[in-house]
Amino acid sequence: MEQFITHWLGSTPAFAIPLALASMGLVLCERAGVLNMGAEGYMSLGAMTAAVLTLTLGNPAIGILCAVLAGATLALVFGFAVVVMRCEQILAGLATMAVGLGIAGVVGRSYVHKSFEGLQPLDLPWLDQLPLVGQLLFHQDILVYLTVLIGFALWFLLEHTRAGLKIRAVGEDPASADVAGVQVQVQQLLAITASGALCGLAGAYLSVASSSIWVDNMVAGRGWIALALVVFARWEPLKALAGAFLFGAIEALLPRLQAIGIPAPIYLMNMLPYLFTIAVLLVAACSGSKKGMEPAALGQPYVRQDRH
Amino acid sequence: MSNFRLTLERRQQVSTLRSAATYILGLLVGLGCGVLVLLAAGAPASTLMDDLVVQVFFSARGLAQTLTLAVPLIMVGLAALAAMRLRFWNVGIEGQLWLGAIGATLVANNDFGSEALRLPIMLIASALAGAIWIAVPLLLKLKANVNELVVTLLLSNVAYLLLQHLLFGAWKDPVNSFPVSPRFDDNEQLASLGFGNLHSGIYLALAITLLMAVLVQKSRTGFYIDVIGHNRRTALATGIPVTATLTLMILLSGALAGLAGGLIVTGVEHRLTQTIGINTTFSGIVIAFVARFNPLAILPTAIALAGIYNAGSTLKVFYGIPDAIVVLIQGIVLLTLLMVQFFRSYRVSLLRRTPPQTARQIT
Repeated sequence: MEQFITHWLGSTPAFAIPLALASMGLVLCERAGVLNMGAEGYMSLGAMTAAVLTLTLGNPAIGILCAVLAGATLALVFGFAVVVMRCEQILAGLATMAVGLGIAGVVGRSYVHKSFEGLQPLDLPWLDQLPLVGQLLFHQDILVYLTVLIGFALWFLLEHTRAGLKIRAVGEDPASADVAGVQVQVQQLLAITASGALCGLAGAYLSVASSSIWVDNMVAGRGWIALALVVFARWEPLKALAGAFLFGAIEALLPRLQAIGIPAPIYLMNMLPYLFTIAVLLVAACSGSKKGMEPAALGQPYVRQDRH
Repeated sequence: MSNFRLTLERRQQVSTLRSAATYILGLLVGLGCGVLVLLAAGAPASTLMDDLVVQVFFSARGLAQTLTLAVPLIMVGLAALAAMRLRFWNVGIEGQLWLGAIGATLVANNDFGSEALRLPIMLIASALAGAIWIAVPLLLKLKANVNELVVTLLLSNVAYLLLQHLLFGAWKDPVNSFPVSPRFDDNEQLASLGFGNLHSGIYLALAITLLMAVLVQKSRTGFYIDVIGHNRRTALATGIPVTATLTLMILLSGALAGLAGGLIVTGVEHRLTQTIGINTTFSGIVIAFVARFNPLAILPTAIALAGIYNAGSTLKVFYGIPDAIVVLIQGIVLLTLLMVQFFRSYRVSLLRRTPPQTARQIT
């Protein structure tokens, strides 16, 4: 039993980290009032970029860095479309999603199913020798620790800094923020680019850290789950981090159950996170509390001249 | 500081000429970029015209395949249109399509109804299943104001898991244990038209497109849809039956997506498989958007996109260019069309800064 739990929890980060990084990026973006449907595409692009560069250069660090840049660049295209050109956010997001998926599929074509030396777990000196929790908490790769760090950094940024206040102001009421001297477009572009970078990192984690291979359709809908997680987490970065670990733990449980031969309806059990999220949405809507709810200006393009 | 600043102004009235010119410009730029991407991916320039146009539209075999692919695309395009005209974000078309395919297969597997009526029952079941699948987000939207975007998206994933649960479990083909359902009997398949794989489903698609055109452009409901789509509050204030119209159109959207699934399994695959619905949500939205939400324009748009899909599979076989290129091209075209709307909706002008003194006098 102890071994089962260790294996289960030990494999949880592999499922949780991509969701956590992507959903925290989307939280930031949505707090700035931009609904970003492109996550799936940025993640694919990031996963492909990291894998291809690691394969050709043999250095996962460069691969991961370029994946972050690739995600940020594609997000910037989305940002240009919605912030400067005032395109419909949902449609522009879907379009960049398709561009990311497409580029990943086309460029990554000749690199599929080639395994490589990916990111190795980092053993923290003597902490990893602790019984039970040692291997769980202190035998992970550096991105796992980085993700937790990013979660707290984002929380601090949004809740306790002036920069975060500006971002939230833009997401709640861009017209008032504009009057107060906040550059709405700049704030939104920054948030969008950062969200793309985090999604790129999420993708890089999938290919370079958790599987050390690039395959077609590697992201497999995780970008959409991340999008739902944002709502599940009520637009708060730390809740998104926790939610990602919860979802990751459920996902990680299923292969474990199969491994020890428990007949479980895996596909039906895989539905649980989705159904659970819908239930959370319903409860949140019915409870009627406005606190921690959706940013008021989410999804609406801002044009200064429309101000009343 | 410079003496000039850029200002952005919403155009109150947009001329038809400006509308048409920006649209055509966007489409041309988008398709041009698509061609460049194809060339960059390794498609030979010398045969590009032949591969993209002649082979898929002007050869009997190619045209048959294009039209076959167009049937479900027409349906998902109409499904996206029905929802988007009301500004209801149905991003779960794929899920409703899966449910439709599952519904039809359920009827076939259990031999519901008489043999003669089996096929119509299968198609009705597919439409019903799609409508039921979208009824959940619709109900949540109407009763609790839950965002339909996320719910339709999530239910798409749930539908795919349900499909896998059935195909890897109870519905596994007993002959070879592959994760596909047993093959349908002859009376459970749409009639072949003797033109490639083309089946009688295309008549159904054409008829439904015409009915949809009458519904949204000629009927009273169509007028309601326009008002609700433009301004829901005004519609409520003027006593237009918002809830009833919304319910009708959104259920219709789900039913059409479900029927698309039904048409694929009864017309082409003749069994339930795991690959039929991939990317249909996005394609449906692209078709509806490129067709400017006009039902009759859905037909040429869906056929054109089917041609690109068809050419994509040729390019894959001959030059090893992956299918993903078709998704990439759709994304590029949608993005450029969205971006050029900026020049349709806004006027950008360079203004000289007003000196502070004058400004005080004005205010």
